[in-house]
Amino acid sequence: MNMKKPFSLLTILLIFQGFAQAQADNADFMRSVGKMYVVYGVIVVIFVALVLFLIYLDRRLTKLENQINDQ
Amino acid sequence: MRKYWWKILGVFLIVYSFTMGLLVPLKPGIAYFEPGATQAGKAYEMTITGYNTFYTKATAAPRVWLKYDSVHMLIADRVEVLGDRQLKARFNLPGSLPTEKQVAVTSLIIDDDYNGFAVKPGSVFITADSSLQEISIGKAAWGKTEVSGVHEKDQFNFPYRVQLSETIRNLYYHVPFWFAMFIIFIAGITQSVQYLRTNNPEYDYKSMSFTMVGTLFGVIGLITGMIWAKDTWGTYWTWKEVKMNMTAIALLVYFAYFILRQSFDDDERRARISAVYSIFAFAAMIALLYVVPRMVSSLHPGSGGNPALGADDLDNSMRLVFYPAIIGWTLFGVWLTSLIYRMQMVRERIYDQ
Repeated sequence: MNMKKPFSLLTILLIFQGFAQAQADNADFMRSVGKMYVVYGVIVVIFVALVLFLIYLDRRLTKLENQINDQ
Repeated sequence: MRKYWWKILGVFLIVYSFTMGLLVPLKPGIAYFEPGATQAGKAYEMTITGYNTFYTKATAAPRVWLKYDSVHMLIADRVEVLGDRQLKARFNLPGSLPTEKQVAVTSLIIDDDYNGFAVKPGSVFITADSSLQEISIGKAAWGKTEVSGVHEKDQFNFPYRVQLSETIRNLYYHVPFWFAMFIIFIAGITQSVQYLRTNNPEYDYKSMSFTMVGTLFGVIGLITGMIWAKDTWGTYWTWKEVKMNMTAIALLVYFAYFILRQSFDDDERRARISAVYSIFAFAAMIALLYVVPRMVSSLHPGSGGNPALGADDLDNSMRLVFYPAIIGWTLFGVWLTSLIYRMQMVRERIYDQ
């Protein structure tokens, strides 16, 4: 499995830039339906953070597997 | 299977906190009303928009009060139900206020048998005509009624706060990470102390794994807090909010821990110095997160002395979801810790060969 920097800093910055613009265009979106989308946003952040952590673990395990194979 | 019970419990509690936290409705409340200001001595007709309310399901028309203080209040002469979320209330305001204030801020109170009792503090501004100083008339007119026989909605729901609205649910997705982070950092520091006592490298790896998960939870807590702050305080980051900035500093101290670890080739030195460093980092975190923010004013609830778990900030319905969420995320964090630790031990074995 070869994953070379799936999330570079630039990609993340671009994603956040996109979010920021979407919000500027539609400032009331997050505040609609009793501001429920703020809660969704928070839950998405938790999920994304855990997935990023899993990707980190995955990459380190891949390195270990490669070392075992090399021996 | 027996070995996994705490992992299953942790995941169950997290799923429970997501399910309950998202499905339980908010208590009916008052979203907004207009007009927001009027004059004493005039007829005042207001339209009120409720939140999560079903005014048409009430058997009698809701009663509406304007509350000046604990003894002076005025009941609406006529209340019309326009829809589930719309009310029209008409007041005949007396010519003067009960005290000599020129402007009064009154609270709006609504009660009916289906939706229960709702208060919106600091609502209607009433200006008194300065030529009328007959306070006794005002006192008599405002003191005739009292708020009595109010109903409590007979349903399990979370409190409604105008400022927060549905984002009150973020209590289950933001705050538990700080509690879990704290517990996990305590676990990490006990492992550091164990290492310094025994020089057994296993404790060093345990300490490192706990610290890594604690830092992850801290980052999650910070980013979720930023999103909530954007909504409630109007900005993602503010230098005026001391808890936020101190947390960022504490997390930087912990980031430095991992950089420090990478800068040693000698395993024993790395283990010893990072154990000592993690103890200092923990002490710094206590000061930054739990001492400094209590000494100055903060935008966080419960600032200026007491922790944010007073009766004003957390009611019993929220405790039923909040505490399980803390336990769930702590157990989940210990699970993640054990994965990192086991990976480290495998790595050790490979390097030893």
